[in-house]
Amino acid sequence: MDFRTLIPSADVLPVHWAWFQGLLNVTFVLHLILMNLMLGGMLICFIHQWRGSSSESERFIVGKLPFFIAFTVNFGVAPLLFLQVIYGHFIYTSSVLMACSWLSVIVFLLAGYYGVYIYGIKWESLGRARGFVSGIVACCFLLIAFIFVNNLTMMQVPETWLRYFDNSKGLLLNIKEPTLMPRYLHFILSSTAVAGLALALYGDWQMRRGNEEKKEMRKMGLHWFIGSTLCQVGVGLWFFKTLPPEVRSFTGSLPAWLFSLFLSFSILGTLVSVVLALGRKVRPAAVVVFITIVFMVGVREIVRVQYLAPHFTVSDLQVVPQYSPMLLFLLFFAGGIALVWYMVRLVMRGLEVQS
Amino acid sequence: MNYPVWQLDWAGGGLLIALIAVVHVYVAHFAVGGGLFLVLVERKGLAEKSAAIMEYAKKNTRFFLLLTMVFGGMTGVGIWFTIALLNPAATSALIHIFVFGWAIEWVFFFCEILSLFLYYYTFGRLDAKRHLILGWIYFGCAWMSLFWINGIIDFMLTPGDWLVDHNFWSGFFNPTFLPALFFRTFLAFMIAGLFGFVTAVFIRDEQTRHAMIRFSGKWLLGPFILLMLSAWWYKSALPAALQELIFTNMPELTFFIKTFALLSPLLVLGGLLMAMLRPQKVRLPIAALLLLIGLVYMGCFEFIREGGRRPYIISNYMYSTSILKTDLAKVQAQGVLQSARWLKNREVTDENRMVVGRELYNLLCLSCHSIGGPLNDILPIAQRFSSSGMNAFLASMGKVNSYMPPFAGNNEEREVLADFLTLGLVHNVPRLKTPLVQQDVTPYPYDPEAQYLLAAWALDGMGFTSNPDTSGLDFSPGLPEIRAQLIHRGKAPELLSAGVSVTYTLDVDGVKITGVMAGEDGYFRAEISALANVQQPYHLVEVEARGDGAVLARTRLMVAQSSEVDCNHCHGQDLAAEKQGLSRQTAAHILARHDKRSKTALKHRFDGGEIIVCGDCHADASRGMPGQKGILNLSASIHGFHAAYMAKQGAGACAFCHPTAAQGASQSLRGLHHSLGFDCLNCHGSIAEHGAALLKAEVAAGKVSAGKLLKVIGDTSVPVESIVARVPWLNMPDCLACHVGFQPPETDSAFNLWTKDNEEIFHNRKGDEGVIFCAACHNEAHVLYPAKNPYGTKLDVQQPMQYQGNSLPLGANRGCKTCHTVDMEDEMHHSRSLADFRNVPEE
Repeated sequence: MDFRTLIPSADVLPVHWAWFQGLLNVTFVLHLILMNLMLGGMLICFIHQWRGSSSESERFIVGKLPFFIAFTVNFGVAPLLFLQVIYGHFIYTSSVLMACSWLSVIVFLLAGYYGVYIYGIKWESLGRARGFVSGIVACCFLLIAFIFVNNLTMMQVPETWLRYFDNSKGLLLNIKEPTLMPRYLHFILSSTAVAGLALALYGDWQMRRGNEEKKEMRKMGLHWFIGSTLCQVGVGLWFFKTLPPEVRSFTGSLPAWLFSLFLSFSILGTLVSVVLALGRKVRPAAVVVFITIVFMVGVREIVRVQYLAPHFTVSDLQVVPQYSPMLLFLLFFAGGIALVWYMVRLVMRGLEVQS
Repeated sequence: MNYPVWQLDWAGGGLLIALIAVVHVYVAHFAVGGGLFLVLVERKGLAEKSAAIMEYAKKNTRFFLLLTMVFGGMTGVGIWFTIALLNPAATSALIHIFVFGWAIEWVFFFCEILSLFLYYYTFGRLDAKRHLILGWIYFGCAWMSLFWINGIIDFMLTPGDWLVDHNFWSGFFNPTFLPALFFRTFLAFMIAGLFGFVTAVFIRDEQTRHAMIRFSGKWLLGPFILLMLSAWWYKSALPAALQELIFTNMPELTFFIKTFALLSPLLVLGGLLMAMLRPQKVRLPIAALLLLIGLVYMGCFEFIREGGRRPYIISNYMYSTSILKTDLAKVQAQGVLQSARWLKNREVTDENRMVVGRELYNLLCLSCHSIGGPLNDILPIAQRFSSSGMNAFLASMGKVNSYMPPFAGNNEEREVLADFLTLGLVHNVPRLKTPLVQQDVTPYPYDPEAQYLLAAWALDGMGFTSNPDTSGLDFSPGLPEIRAQLIHRGKAPELLSAGVSVTYTLDVDGVKITGVMAGEDGYFRAEISALANVQQPYHLVEVEARGDGAVLARTRLMVAQSSEVDCNHCHGQDLAAEKQGLSRQTAAHILARHDKRSKTALKHRFDGGEIIVCGDCHADASRGMPGQKGILNLSASIHGFHAAYMAKQGAGACAFCHPTAAQGASQSLRGLHHSLGFDCLNCHGSIAEHGAALLKAEVAAGKVSAGKLLKVIGDTSVPVESIVARVPWLNMPDCLACHVGFQPPETDSAFNLWTKDNEEIFHNRKGDEGVIFCAACHNEAHVLYPAKNPYGTKLDVQQPMQYQGNSLPLGANRGCKTCHTVDMEDEMHHSRSLADFRNVPEE
């Protein structure tokens, strides 16, 4: 059987595909940062618990985790929505093939979410059980990440879909995918790096406000960032080597050129951010990391395009235009940002008045 | 067809979505109503300057946050994941049609989260005005989320003009958008009241507790009338066909509709009790119970709404099988095996039949039917069907069972799926028939010098009975009737009736039964009540004529009265039953289905030991039963209803209920026409045509239900408009329709050319001389001489053998001496009566 016959036909789009590609990437950048804070923050907490080096920083992270989870999920909804619009026929298929684990994401998410609340609210009373709770939550998050990496790699390798005919119970994974483990480790290390940098950023901000006690927090955060990023060099190389030659090709086509451009900026940004971090220049490092993440998301998108190139390109999608709903969405989106601004200002001023 | 199917089996049939959706929707509505509840509780606390209420407001907000944001938010994503796994095609359609609707909802979802966090974490840290503004923003965003989701959900039920223009706004602001929005809003307020009870009972201060419980009670009871009004509006906004489907044609939804109606006053009563009763021991369990009732209430509503979409996942656009309505005909034409992407087998072979059946099941059934699971389990359904019965049922989908999608495959695929369901999934091996013990019977010896000729025949050569004494259900046609004519042979034969007595004798289960035949105008007749319940299909009857105490003549005939009524093909069978015929188990299922469809209570009476006689309500002219006014006659009802199931089965359809199956125990089709290769359809038309003819007469008689059945009658070879209406047992197939002027036929179809009155019916018709019944010489229509009974060559030709030494009709091939003792020159009985008999069988 030819696996290409299995690729479902796509539905029509209401606006040009580039809109969805843009919205996908913008919202994914935000999701990625929040996810890094959530996963990385949790891993840092767990490792500190495990080492027995529980600190004030850990307590600080735990207090923020519920926000990170809520917004990670919320900002995960948008890119998944836009992904389904342009790559739906791939992601739906791979999801069905690994349906059991894909659906278990919700169970792990609920367990992790409530676990975080227990971890934070019952901090004192948990005592030594904190390590256990943080371990459970960390495992939940790691499993979610693992499942996501499986699905998002399986969707771009339809040649593996024929396995469905031997197992249609939704029990497949994409374990044999060469990029799976380096990709997974790449995300885990990114998360501890970003969470560490965020911690350092907060510590730095506090120090600038005269709170010298936060020096330790900045130091610890930078250690996590630098350590994770240095490990990332090896993992990144491994990841790169496992990519199929046609995917990691630097020349020959527009996507290949873009790949080489984005990857170069990403590597450069990573190196610069480490150098800045080593010099304790936290805020510049954070700006560079943000830009690097944007380029890495670009690399990731090009990799997907290259993987699917033999079977599909987004420009193939048929458009039956109707732009008014999009205009309304953009209006609501702007309104939403204004509302967020209004609420934050309302609270800030209110707190100032109260203090 | 486009996507792989998650082979869930036990958890199939929508179990996952039912589980996650009901709890999520309950919490999600709480997230809306509860938002306003929080703000108004805080306002109350501020207005009354009550620290206790403010403390309750804060605690309640924490509970609210943990429940709605964590559980509600995550299960909301869970629903999205689940629908994409269970029906990716429909999810993809909804995502693509409403992508910016979803995106706007996401914006409000984000603002909800942020405002709720800010609201909770600034409790007591902001001035009242600012804090209340945050609460109002939360409620506004939550309600706007409902606004956007509501449009998409109700699009699935009533897509409205979108079906024509494919415009986002036509689909979003669909016919039920507004009533559903109001309904859900009021429901959200009531649910907030229910949760308010649960949280308020834990307030320590008794006075505050009581005040907050009463406050919550207002939330439950206040919107109730508005909820009922919006429910009525919601129902009215549904297209008429959908209303009929939900509230009349889908018995499966009756439970949910009744429960919803029953729980409405219960909620009110519970709310009043909570407001009146003060003891904590009573309030806590009542509050918990009310919360549970609320969940069931919500679940019922969702089941009704979801059920109302059937057979679609998106009404009138995409079937629950993920096949677009516009694609169905194409898929049916080329077959599922050639249309679906995710199939391993494209051809059916003897070896892979069951595997292909399973693949077809996954594609066409699994989305609604689990295998052994709690939701819509296919196993008990499959267990009551034989393969051919299931095949008929599959063919009926989308017609009689309008809540199921039409079968999307071709005939072969339908057979394969039926085999898989009844032989692969369950092992429903058809019951063994009672072995036939009938042996051939030697006719009385041929005596060319005999003085008398006694011709005897049964009125119905295809007789059957539902064995009412054992089955408890009586839809048998009239009792077997035999008739006889006694002829005094001579140059001018004389028909005898006066001064003669004719009796019949037969053996029924070892008991000798004798009866006297009543003298009529030129013939004798008797109904054999001893054959009301039978096992064997053929019954040898001796008929004897006496005059002045002496035997004048005697003869034999076979009366066909079979119990081969195979309702068990579809209505289940008692596997332990050893006897032939309708079992009580099968009868019980028939009555249960009748009760469900026609809102009767027959099963209850049946269980009480009563024999249910169909003719009591459905007029049955074969038994002289007038039935009840407005109700279809039995023939129209049974044939008209079952036609939709069996329309594609040709003569096989008849064999489900009549003893005509080629491999059956009776094989009652055994006359000349059968030998020539004819079957039921040549005279009666297919079951769809037959049913249509009967229903059209009932439509003409003003019976509304006949029109409904006529709409789903199934495929007919001629347009329904061209089918001539017929009244059962009066307008029968007419022999002269083919044998015009008694000439050799030029057509092989008598369908649609019915006898006009009682006199024209074959068994009442006489020769041109007006004395001798056609059947006296030719035998009954299904057993025309020379008949071949499969269980004995002489069984059904007793009289020709006795009177003329062959199996031909009496007097055939110029055998006038059979009665006249001399050759005749005039064709006084009918044209061509002196011609050569054209169909002499090979000996």
